[in-house]
This record gives sequence, C-alpha cells and structure tokens, in this order.
Amino acid sequence: MAGGTAEPAEPPESAGMTGTEEVSRLRGTLFEAVTLGATVFGLLMVGVLLLYVVNDAVRPLSADPGWHLVFFLTLVVPSLSVAAYCYTREGPAGEVAYATFGLPVVGLLVGAGIVVVFLEVVSVADWFGLALALVAAAGAIELHRRLRPYAALERLAVLIVAPLVAIFGVPALSVDRTLATPLTGTELFTLSFSTPKLLPGVPELFTSLPVLPLDWLLLVVSLTLPVAFAFGRIVSRRREDDRGRLETVAAAGAVALVGALVAPTVGIDAAHWVVLATTTLLPLGVYLEGVVRERAGLAGLWFPVVVVAGTLVGALVVETVGFAGPDPWLDWGFLTSATSRSPADAGIYPALVGSILMLVVIVVSAFPVGVGAAIYLEEYAPNSGPLGTFVTLVEINIGNLAGVPSVVYGLLGLAIFVRTFDLGNGTVIVGGFTVGLLILPIVIISAQEAIRAVPDSLRQASYGMGATQWQTIRNVVLPRALPGTLTGTILALGRAIGETAPLLMIGAAASVRTPPNGFFSRFSAMPRQIYSWSSEIQPEFRYGVLAAGVVTLLVVLLMMNGTAILIRNKYQRES
Amino acid sequence: MSGLELGHDSARSMRGRVVRVVFAVCAAVSILTTAAILLTLLADAVEFFSAVSPIEFFTGTRWTPTNEPVSFGVLPLVTGTLVITFGSALIALPIGLLTAIYLSEYASGRARSILKPALEVLAGVPTVIYGYLALVYITPAIDALVPVSTFNALSASIVVGIMIIPMVSSISEDAMSAVPDDLRQASYGLGATKFTVSTSVVVPAALSGIVSSFILALSRAIGETMAVTIAAGQTPRLVDLTDPAGVFLESVQTMTAAMVQLGASDVTGQSIAYKSLFAVGLTLFAITFVMNLLSELVASRYREVYR
Repeated sequence: MAGGTAEPAEPPESAGMTGTEEVSRLRGTLFEAVTLGATVFGLLMVGVLLLYVVNDAVRPLSADPGWHLVFFLTLVVPSLSVAAYCYTREGPAGEVAYATFGLPVVGLLVGAGIVVVFLEVVSVADWFGLALALVAAAGAIELHRRLRPYAALERLAVLIVAPLVAIFGVPALSVDRTLATPLTGTELFTLSFSTPKLLPGVPELFTSLPVLPLDWLLLVVSLTLPVAFAFGRIVSRRREDDRGRLETVAAAGAVALVGALVAPTVGIDAAHWVVLATTTLLPLGVYLEGVVRERAGLAGLWFPVVVVAGTLVGALVVETVGFAGPDPWLDWGFLTSATSRSPADAGIYPALVGSILMLVVIVVSAFPVGVGAAIYLEEYAPNSGPLGTFVTLVEINIGNLAGVPSVVYGLLGLAIFVRTFDLGNGTVIVGGFTVGLLILPIVIISAQEAIRAVPDSLRQASYGMGATQWQTIRNVVLPRALPGTLTGTILALGRAIGETAPLLMIGAAASVRTPPNGFFSRFSAMPRQIYSWSSEIQPEFRYGVLAAGVVTLLVVLLMMNGTAILIRNKYQRES
Repeated sequence: MSGLELGHDSARSMRGRVVRVVFAVCAAVSILTTAAILLTLLADAVEFFSAVSPIEFFTGTRWTPTNEPVSFGVLPLVTGTLVITFGSALIALPIGLLTAIYLSEYASGRARSILKPALEVLAGVPTVIYGYLALVYITPAIDALVPVSTFNALSASIVVGIMIIPMVSSISEDAMSAVPDDLRQASYGLGATKFTVSTSVVVPAALSGIVSSFILALSRAIGETMAVTIAAGQTPRLVDLTDPAGVFLESVQTMTAAMVQLGASDVTGQSIAYKSLFAVGLTLFAITFVMNLLSELVASRYREVYR
C-alpha cells in the first residue's frame, strides 16, 4: 500500500515518522467503510423489504394526491414540528410526548383484547362469578390467618383448597372399586357409591341468580374499581397521602359510570366503553396527574393533542372536498372478518383472537414459573454440595434450552400435551403451554438479571430489621426487580407471538372460520394463518392479504416492544 | 390439630421452607423440559429404528415417507440443511464479524447505542415473516437476474443469513470488547495502524469468542424452520455437487422443513412415517445440542484467559 498518503491513521501523533515507516491511510479508511457497510447491510435490506410489505398492505398510492397533501399539512407537518420542538428542548418533554401518545394506543390494544375475550370466550357474568369466588377464597384464607396465625401447614392446605372449593364447589363423589388379591384374584370387597353434587361453586351460585345486574355494572365493580385501586397506589405514593387512592377510585368509577350512560347514545356498547376506559383513560389520567404535579415536560402534552386534532381536521377537509383515500388491504374489515377463499373478503380475526388467548395461557403459565425459577436460582440456591451441582446443572441447562430449535419444542408439545395428557389436538391450551415452555428460558434469564441487579445492601437492611428471607424477597427484592422482569417477559412474549413451527407440530388449525370459544377449542394464530396464506398463489393473496397479515403481526410486535422499552426507560430513570 | 399448630418462629421457618420448595420446583421445570425432550424423542425414535434400520436411515439417499415406494433415507434432508447452513454462513459470518469489529473498534458510543438494539430487531422479526419476504420479494428479484425456481435455496439462505447476523455480531463484539486495552495500546506503541490493531491484534485475541459465535449461529441456521419451509420448498433432494449452480437455484428440503411437512400432514399416530418425525427430530436435536455445548466450551476459554 505504498501508493497511499504517508500518514498513520491512528494514533495521530505522527510528527517523528520517517519514510520507511509510511503506512497507508487508505486501507484503514476503506476497512472502516466496509465494516460500517456490513453493519447496516442487514438493517437496510430488511428495512427496504418491509417498506415493500407496508406499501402492499396499505397501498398509499391508491389515494388521491390531494388526500396526501391535506394530511401532510394538517397532520404530518404540525406533529413533526411539535416532536422536533420537544426533542430539541432536551427536557422530559419528549418522554411525555412519547408516553401520552403511546399509553392510550397500548391501552386501546389491551382493551380491545379484553373486549374480544368477553365477546368470544367468557360472558361478563361468568367472569364476575369467578372474581367473586376469588374474593371469597381470599377472605377464607385471611380469616384462617386471623384465627390460627401459627398453623402453617394447615394454612398451606387452606391456600390450596379454598380457591378450588370457591370456584368449582365440591363435586359429586363417585367411587366404584373392587379390591382383589393380586395373585389369585379373589375379590375381597367392592366399594361403590356416588353422591349428588355436594356444594356448588360461587360462579355457579352467582349465575343461577334469577336477576343479574347489567354487564357494564358488573365490569365497573370487577374491573374498573380494582384496577383504579391498584393505580391509586401510585397516586397516593406520589402525593404522599392516603386520599390519592380514594380519589383515583372515585374518579375512575365516576368516569366509567357517566361514560357508560352516555356511550349507548353515540352507538358504543356500554360494557365495551367500561373496558376501554379502564385500560386507556385510567393509566393516562394517572400519568397526566403526575406530569401536571411535577410540572416537568408539559410541552410534550401538545403532541397527542396535535396528532388527534390534525387527524380530525384532515378527515373533515378530505370529506368536504371529496378526495378519495387509499384502498388498503389492511382495514377494519380485514381485522374483523374470518379468512376466506376470495382475497377481498379474507380477514385475520379468528387468528388474532387465537393469538390473544394463547398469550393469556403463556402469561399465566410461563411467567410465574419463570420468575419462581429465577428467585430460586438467585436467592435460595446453594453454591456447594449436591444441591449446588443441581443448580449448576440447571443453569447450564437453561442456556442450552434457549438454543433448542423451536420445531423440537413442537414435537415435545405434541408428545406430552397432545398425546400423553390428551389436552386436544391444536387447542389453545396446548399451544400456550408449548410456546410457554419455549420462552421459559428467556423469562428465567431476564428475571435472573433483574434480581441480580437489586443491590445487596437492600437485602442486608431488610435482614437487619429482622425480616425473614421470604419477607425480604417479597417486600424488597421482587418490587425492585419487577420492571426489569416485566421488560424481559414482554420481549419474550413478542417472540412467542411470532412462533409458528411449534404450532404446526401440535396441529393448530390451518385456517379457522370462527374464533376459539375457550381454552380447549382448536385455534389458529396469526403466524399460522400467514403460513397458510403463503401457499396461496393468487397475486391478490401474495401481495395483498399476506402483506396485511404480516403488517398486523408486526404492529402488534412493535406495540409490545414499545411497551417494554417504555417500562425500561422509566425504570432506568428512577433507579 | 395441635400437631399442626406451631410456635411463631417455627411457623415462619415452615413458610420459608414451603416457599423454597415451590421455587425449587419451578427451577426444576427446566431440567424436566430437557428430560422430556430427550425421552419423548428417544421413545418414538427407538420404535422407528426397530422398524427401519439406522444404517438405512443414515445412509439412504431417498426421503419419501408418505409416497410409495416408502423410503427413509435422511441424507437428502441433511444435505439440504447443509446447503442452507452453508449459504447463510457465507452471508452471516463475514458480515457479522465485520459488524462486530465496527461496533467494538470504530463506532462512537452514540452510534453503538443505536445500532446494537437495531441489529437485535433483525433477530426479533418472526421467522415466518422472513420466509414470506424471501418467497414474495427476494425470489422474484433474483429471478430477474438469473432464472430460479419459485422455491429455491438461495433466497432462503439470504434471509436465514440476515436473521443470524445479530447472533454472530453481538457475541463476537462482547469477546472483542473483553480484549484488554493494554494489547491495543502496546500495538499502537509499536506504530501499528488502527486497521492492523483491529485485524491482527483484536480479532486473534478474541478468536475463541468469535468461533463460539460462529458455531452458535450455524446451530441456529440448522434449526431454523419457517423461513426455509416457506422459501426453500419441500423437495427432498440429494445435493448434486457436479452442478454447483443448481444447488442454490433449486428447491431443497431441510430436516426442519420435512418435520413441518410431516407434522402438518395427516399421518396417523402409529404409522412409521409419524415415528420418523421423531427420528429426524432427534437427529436435529443432537446436532444443535452438541453445537451449543461446543460453543459454550470454546467461549469459556476466552473468559478464563482475560480475567
């Protein structure tokens, strides 16, 4: 490389260099350019491909140029300027803008998921009965704690039995057994009896009431008020008084009640309103209260206002002038209808519901087990002795499990859950358990990292106050580790929602016309549906329906990852 | 009931013990999972091998589990997997390594904080979407240059290569960042350029970490399922090395794709074809498991060297 300029690239102190030590700067510069090119290669490639997909799904070019111009002026320019203003001010305004816009969007998504569950899986009355049963069980456990505070074994039994009895009641007993000697087969005696159902469960009692309250009232009591109570804790802590919690509950209840009375007049179902208000307005309200109280980043509040106002004004102008909007594949019809042979009618609704239900199963099964395993490995596990070997084995094993191909997990699910436990071919619960096992290592590892990040001084302080190990974990370690654990879990759930191969192996349906109506019915999930569509050869499927499905899946993923990042950012700032 | 009633302290320690056992059971779930994977795969694979001899399985050159004449030679699937793995390695290993060098040696802190999470996104996109991208966008683009069949190994290799880049880059970068700065400074002191330091000092010093990342990425490519099923098709074909161009331009079937095909078809639970699913699964599990262990072994070397 003698042809290059005679300066060393690095370090710059080169005054004393002579001709014999000349080195080329060109080579170094070229190399840096090549490494940079390699770094962005994959990103660019996937980025361009995704642009194609979005273009096929939304078809923005099918709209009138005037339509684009109007929205560019009313929506894009103002919101970009507000965003730029928030960004350059460098204050917390950007964070506020991001959160006040993101919270309602995520809230709407969660709310829509809950509404779908109420529409397709459980009735509101059943849900309320279940909630009542859980309250009754909690009451029984609390009563036992008061009456016999030192009976630990007994309480363990109560902990297990009370919820079961409350939910299912005492079922009918039926025994029919013959005891015989093993060798000769002589009958010794026969035990055979059966009883009618001894005690109905609380949900059964509730739904057998002759007059049931309206659905939306039940939801206010069983959903809005408890959620408000939980969020109220944040308000109370922020204001350092106890009234914050009460006021939050009262305000949430009032908004839900008034809205539920008004909503039907504008064509919204009152029960849906209650759910959506709980998931959207309540977190937003609590967040805004904090922003206003701390007076930090108030400018960011303009961002959602500008976005909403810009959309409304733009829509109004477009309507009056008569510019035609785009004709996308991804529209309301796509989200709410079932798949079909004709591309124009095909939709993703049943698969969307299937994915949501599968996520519910995963959250209920993999999350507690993963966190429990992480607590054991980080807090209890001994480092030596036979148990120490076991722990080392578990940790190596977790790393290896994370590298097992997903299709092998599918085989596991097929062999264990479908054939051995006979939970049904391709049912929601089998899908949830299988994919739950798949993401379990990720959940465990992220929870371990979060627990490890809790400073040891906090544990020592807790022990110093006389707390037991379990009290320390419950009151000190877990609350501090929760945000990190949640972030990791949500990211793992993002992985779960895109998994396809395990679903294929356990026999999830190629395409279903009706959404699953329970956890034991056969289902299809979004990626499974996308795979089925990919074998259609009509261009309308390839470049239309498929693209819309892919964008739907990606948007859901993006929302989940956005939530995870939001939690992580907030947590990093606080600690 | 007096036997169940304990003093205050022993009640607390009792609860502590119960809690501890519950959590230990949670931790044991992961061991149980591995055991269950091994047992279920082995149980059905053993039944399969009692019907089809292992020699026939591992040396047979035709894979036709459901068509007459039935034949269970796994070689076409293994070579199909190798084609995809080789193709994706051609993309991911050099690009991932260069990416790691850039991130560790050249990038500013700000650039790194943006690029690293962005690269992780590449691994987070669902693989079914990669398959769709390959089938619907990349294959027609290739077809415009060289005529290829609708399903081909090339487009599948490209997307699999892209999705394993982060695996190579993040682990290699960790290894390069762990190289002590003294080595770099010493090299600069001898008058070396940054290029020389990066390629002749940092990369060799981080070699075990880099090799470990390569093995892990290859293992991931071998186990990759949806992208290859959608993009590379379902044609079990023994690779014909006398026609190198045809290897990548035509359809192949990998082990994973064959499993998906069998799993999604309606073969019955007792048929040999169904059992063969587990034999292929066991082969796949064994290969990836050994590679993951190997990667961990290689990686543990560099951890010890620079501590």
